[in-house]
Amino acid sequence: MAENKDHLWKSPEDSPEKIEDLVKGGSHPVGIDVGTSKVVVSRRGGKDVACASQLNAFIPVPYSPVTERTIQQQSDIHYYRDGDEIVIFGSATERFANMFNAEARRPMADGLLNPKEKQAWPVLEAILQSLVPKPRSSSEVLAFSVPAAPPGREAQLTYHEASLRQHFTSLGYKAMAINEGLAVIFSELEDHNFTGIGVSCGGGMCNATLAFLSIPSIMFSLPKAGDFIDHSVGEAVGEHATRVKVIKEEGLDLSRTPADKLEKALHIYYEDLVETLVDTLRRTIARAEKLPRTERALPIVLSGGTVKPRGFRELFERTLRGRSFPIEVAEVRVASDPLTATARGAHIAAMFEK
Amino acid sequence: MARVVQGRRVGGARPPAARGGGPPPRRPPARSSPVPRTPVLRRHPIASLEARGRTIRDPVEKLRFLRRSLERYEALDERLQAVPGAPLRWLAFRLTGVEEARPLFSGNPWGALDPPRRARPPLPRRARRAANVAALLLVAAAGLALASYPRSRPAPAVPIAAAPSTSPAEALDPLPRGVAPARVWMVDSGPGFELYSNGLRIETTYSIAGEPRRYRVFEIGQGMGSEVLDRPVGIVYHTSESDIWPLEESFNEKLRDSSQNLLRYLKKNRVYHYLIDRFGQVFRVVHETDKANHAGMSVWSTGSRAYLNLNGPTVGVSFETRWEGGRALPITRAQFEAGRSLTDYLRDKWSIEADMCVTHGLASVNSRKHLIGHHLDWARGFPFEALGLPDHYRRASPAVVLFGFGYDEQFLAVMGEPWPGVEEAERRLEDEAAAAGRTVDELRRERAGTYDLWLDEQTREAETAEKAAAATARRAASGG
Repeated sequence: MAENKDHLWKSPEDSPEKIEDLVKGGSHPVGIDVGTSKVVVSRRGGKDVACASQLNAFIPVPYSPVTERTIQQQSDIHYYRDGDEIVIFGSATERFANMFNAEARRPMADGLLNPKEKQAWPVLEAILQSLVPKPRSSSEVLAFSVPAAPPGREAQLTYHEASLRQHFTSLGYKAMAINEGLAVIFSELEDHNFTGIGVSCGGGMCNATLAFLSIPSIMFSLPKAGDFIDHSVGEAVGEHATRVKVIKEEGLDLSRTPADKLEKALHIYYEDLVETLVDTLRRTIARAEKLPRTERALPIVLSGGTVKPRGFRELFERTLRGRSFPIEVAEVRVASDPLTATARGAHIAAMFEK
Repeated sequence: MARVVQGRRVGGARPPAARGGGPPPRRPPARSSPVPRTPVLRRHPIASLEARGRTIRDPVEKLRFLRRSLERYEALDERLQAVPGAPLRWLAFRLTGVEEARPLFSGNPWGALDPPRRARPPLPRRARRAANVAALLLVAAAGLALASYPRSRPAPAVPIAAAPSTSPAEALDPLPRGVAPARVWMVDSGPGFELYSNGLRIETTYSIAGEPRRYRVFEIGQGMGSEVLDRPVGIVYHTSESDIWPLEESFNEKLRDSSQNLLRYLKKNRVYHYLIDRFGQVFRVVHETDKANHAGMSVWSTGSRAYLNLNGPTVGVSFETRWEGGRALPITRAQFEAGRSLTDYLRDKWSIEADMCVTHGLASVNSRKHLIGHHLDWARGFPFEALGLPDHYRRASPAVVLFGFGYDEQFLAVMGEPWPGVEEAERRLEDEAAAAGRTVDELRRERAGTYDLWLDEQTREAETAEKAAAATARRAASGG
């Protein structure tokens, strides 16, 4: 499908989020966080690092010339035509989902390409194409994030990683995959010589990596994150998961007493997620056969959209303190920009390989 | 965007790093000073790297420094592992402290499923010099230690003849006829083991599936055969080249640990089908029916058939030891006896011809440079006869006679001289060239060309098969 739909692309030059707009020229390595909920790209533009993102979602609407003309009149909508449907993807998806009172669909689920979604690959390809420009030279490096292998789903991860690598290579990049938790360590734990624990809680899964001097020692993923909270809360209180997500992102404060039933449910499922995460982290470290010897306590850095609500760090720290942890923890902190930490880390890896 | 809350101590060892909120902080300009040199002779490499790493402020430069330093430590570790004699090596590791950095030697430094291949940088001149000085000091220290060694100390129970000697490897006695049963069959099996009628016990706790075995054979003078085969038809013997500790009671823990670590590594990377540890225990790693990684670039032949990649058609059997040049037998009696039972079992089960039981050193090639002996384990000194096999060291080397391969200075530096089969193959090449009225070089070039063609054909065929398998899997996954 990808090869014969070029004429249907809306010109990528119109995209306000396109990373090329942020880059003034020259050859630049690219870092990409391919997340279940969002795709974030990081690239150096002049002296600064610039980030751009798209929602990793889509919604098909019935095709009609009128609909297409209406869409064309708005410059911030990405779409392509697929037979008798118009597939709207990226950040405009939520607007259309509300308009048509329908759930947005996802090319990815639980951190990997969604095997149940027929449109998964064409849509993800379109989203990536809207964010990543063609390389200026054949030696440009692109680092993309991948989760740690979820237990029993190694084959699915192989397919996911290989598909992305193939896509970026076909664009002309020298593509490399980097573990998501390690990317967080690269962007946030430079002061600690890239030693510590990087946790990324996104939409589909939580990823954690323990690294010493930039080398990953322990990596794991947990298929429980933002989407799990949205769906569980939605089921508990009889709301659409999409609405739960909006409320969650608009100003949830986990340090405050819940004001209503929905907030109470959000608190319960956030606590459940953090309990599972801390417990898995504790067990994985305790079971590790050989860790490098180090005298110092290690920092933990939290990133991803799910850690954004106020009070998340305190909840995590409280849960951590309530258990005997196999290593000494120096501090728990939230990434300077939780939404872009993985992409910025991947960008550092790409610059290293340049 | 909301400003994030900054960290607090949980364990209380160090104050948190001061950080600002809001968008990612702009980093201070990169230090333009050169990357610090790698420390080599340090008792605590990790602390040393930590200290030096903190002086670099640019994240990419810091990452480069850490990664390259660790790669150099890994290269140093490999060099020290090549120091002859276990006690000397132990002393070298104690002096350099390089073992401390070993948990950081990673084949997968990006944490991805399919890690990129690494090109390890060579040790810098300063580091090489330091390593050489250390080796000299070690030899001197070892000499002193040996001079003061109490003569009444009993010899180790099972000595490892690791020191180079000028005499050829001693072949162990062949098994007396009538002792071995005519056939080998499974007598018993249970969780973690299989027992066979010739006394062979296979530990299966580390057993893992590999890629399906699938290969084609080349007919000499014709080309690649059309039949796709999936049964093993040969055995390739290896040495593990791993940590070897003295076989003494006081080293029990080290001996056990190094075997377990080795097995975990082999399982993870699906290397070899069998490992025979220092005590003669036989561990199955990759299932015999599947392909293991052990002899990728290699050439062997029997009759009119030639094999270009022995991972497909053979079973890899490794002895936990270091080859050390093959002038002394580097395995214990227990390993030898286990190797003999395992060979009998494999040959009986898969009807493997004696001509197809070969060592890695005899078959391994550098395909790009058309050189033999890319890996040299058991390139000399394997006890073929004692295992009931023909002496393949005397057999004309297939890589030389069929494909005109040669050898280089590095090969001679390790081997001293090629094994007799290489000379035999070169004599044949000369005779053939003379009969055809051509030079040996012309003949070699022509045959190397045939090898390149065949290898290319084999690679393309494997890729096509892989793509077809992937397409089938995709179709199955999409329900179509």
